[in-house]
Amino acid sequence: MSMDKPMQEAFAMFYGMAQNLKDLATPVEMPDEERVSRAKQAFLSKLDADMAVDLETCINCGMCAEACHFYIGTEDPKYTPIRKLDLMKRVYRRDLSPMRWLHRLYTKDITAKELEDWQELVYDSCTVCGRCSLMCPMGIHIAEMVAVNRQVLAEAGLIPDELRVMQEGQLEKGTIFEAGPELLEFRINDLKERLGIDIPINKPGSDIMVLTSGLDIHLFYDALAGTAKVLNHLGVSWALCTHGYEAANFGLLSGDEDTQHVATMKIIDTAIECGVKIVITPECGHSFPSLRWEGAEIYGKPLPFDVMSISEYLGRQVMDGKLKLKKAAEKKVVALHDPCKIGRWGGTFEEPRAIIDALGLELHETESNREYNFCCGGGAGVFLINRAAPLRQKAYEVKMGEIKDTGAESLVVSCGSCRMNFETGKIKSNDTIPVDSLVALVAENLAS
Amino acid sequence: MTLLDFARGPALQWSIIIFAVGTLIRLFGAAFMLRNKVLSKPRKSDWVRGGFRTILTRTLPAPVFEKRIRFQHYAGYIWHIGFFITLLFFQLHILFFKGLFGISWPGLPNDVIMVTGAITAAVLVALLVRRMTNPVLRIISTIDDYISWLVTLAPIITGMMAYAHMGFRYETMLAIHLLSVAVLLVWIPFGKLIHIFLVFPSRYQQGAKFERRGVRA
Repeated sequence: MSMDKPMQEAFAMFYGMAQNLKDLATPVEMPDEERVSRAKQAFLSKLDADMAVDLETCINCGMCAEACHFYIGTEDPKYTPIRKLDLMKRVYRRDLSPMRWLHRLYTKDITAKELEDWQELVYDSCTVCGRCSLMCPMGIHIAEMVAVNRQVLAEAGLIPDELRVMQEGQLEKGTIFEAGPELLEFRINDLKERLGIDIPINKPGSDIMVLTSGLDIHLFYDALAGTAKVLNHLGVSWALCTHGYEAANFGLLSGDEDTQHVATMKIIDTAIECGVKIVITPECGHSFPSLRWEGAEIYGKPLPFDVMSISEYLGRQVMDGKLKLKKAAEKKVVALHDPCKIGRWGGTFEEPRAIIDALGLELHETESNREYNFCCGGGAGVFLINRAAPLRQKAYEVKMGEIKDTGAESLVVSCGSCRMNFETGKIKSNDTIPVDSLVALVAENLAS
Repeated sequence: MTLLDFARGPALQWSIIIFAVGTLIRLFGAAFMLRNKVLSKPRKSDWVRGGFRTILTRTLPAPVFEKRIRFQHYAGYIWHIGFFITLLFFQLHILFFKGLFGISWPGLPNDVIMVTGAITAAVLVALLVRRMTNPVLRIISTIDDYISWLVTLAPIITGMMAYAHMGFRYETMLAIHLLSVAVLLVWIPFGKLIHIFLVFPSRYQQGAKFERRGVRA
């Protein structure tokens, strides 16, 4: 469903709260020399053979710019993706490359001023969407290395204020946007009272553990309600655990590895303690790769449970004939947004399409779709950085241009921060296309 | 020792040694650094195939990308193909390779080679102008890009001049041509021309990583 009146009000409140995040930040004081030294050490400890091969292979062709929504939207060459690796390249060339004795002669050392300038390049103007990696004729995985640059800036005390507030909050409290267990309990009772939806809590012996996120608890409760309604309808054994439910990982988004570790281990420990077979991540893009791909690396061995995003899980149920949906009376044309972290970084493409087909909707693909999908413009935490608002609006317009070209009457999305970015982008650009949660659509159309 | 003797002899020999040793150091120095064992369960287990597939498929851009990089992409192909046609199918080059390796193959008419060489040089000049004027290329270009451009173009120009008896007398032009080849060989391990070898492992890595996640890169 699109946003109803109570959700619109919640959206306004939530947007206001997000706008004020910056005011809560305390500055990180660090002498310039220390920043540079910590950044260099971080670069050197993270550079591995894959990255070395990639950095050695670059021919400076600049084609990656033509894949990047921030460059396409602004035509400002400073946002060229490979340029975002310039500091990393220089540290590699001077200190690690097999030809360092030569490169040192003409490669400048990095400076504290450059590290500060790089904040805008690796946070504000990069959603780590990975489209540039697929463009590169040399096969350089640019986006993966931009993510490493975020970790380096985090080491140098240069996480943007908004993301730092979120990261510090999650490290301290284990939750985001103050969506602690009390607020979760409130939302669960609210959904029970208003919609009659039961959410099993801490149920021993469950097969499935469902995660949610502060964004869904505060704002997009239709996604949480929809998940519960469909799982109850399917009759599977599932629960939400109050001591490990937050799927978002602001350690990953900010580049702070300690927080990433703590937040990921909280989920893993809870899942192991409860003995579940599957952990389902909510409509929160980055939470999927954060657990599905990076979880095992943090845990130190393969995870003893499967990880699926809710769109993947429900899509599989539809594809296996276990979940029947009511087909729309009239063929409505919709467009689908593949969230980068669930699609390009996650490998989930056919499942949401199977759901749309089962709903009897007519999918008009955007010109760039599946692995080539454009990001919404606000991923990887960019939707929270105040000063990035004009930039992400440009990126939003690139995306929305392709959506409008499909002639769709509505847009289907399975990521809360994408929804948030679409909703704010729509207001600023006077767009009116309704944006629907995939899981909420499924929940509204369950066939008995 | 004449200039030609020097070019044919020690210059070429040493350039080949520097090229071979330098390239090995650069390739193995990078590829044999540490890498972590991946622990997450793959979505698709045949990632080796995915890696090799990307080596092939990245030869052409995806249709949705192609329209935005058309000029650069095709211009790149034209000069690469032109360069290898002149290198491998010019009859005097074939004679030279026969002397070195003892094998030969049919060549192309000299006029065809000259036209190919001229087109290759013209495209390289056009790409240099683009590099110096396009805002994206200007901001990311380094001295390596200009050196690599120069050492790639020089053998084409000097070779065509020697064949056409332009500039100095033939023996001198031939010596200059051979020296330009020596410079090209020497530069390969130090600059971005190393991509002629690294493009394959780099594409492979990305293809394999995405394949593990169930994504065709």
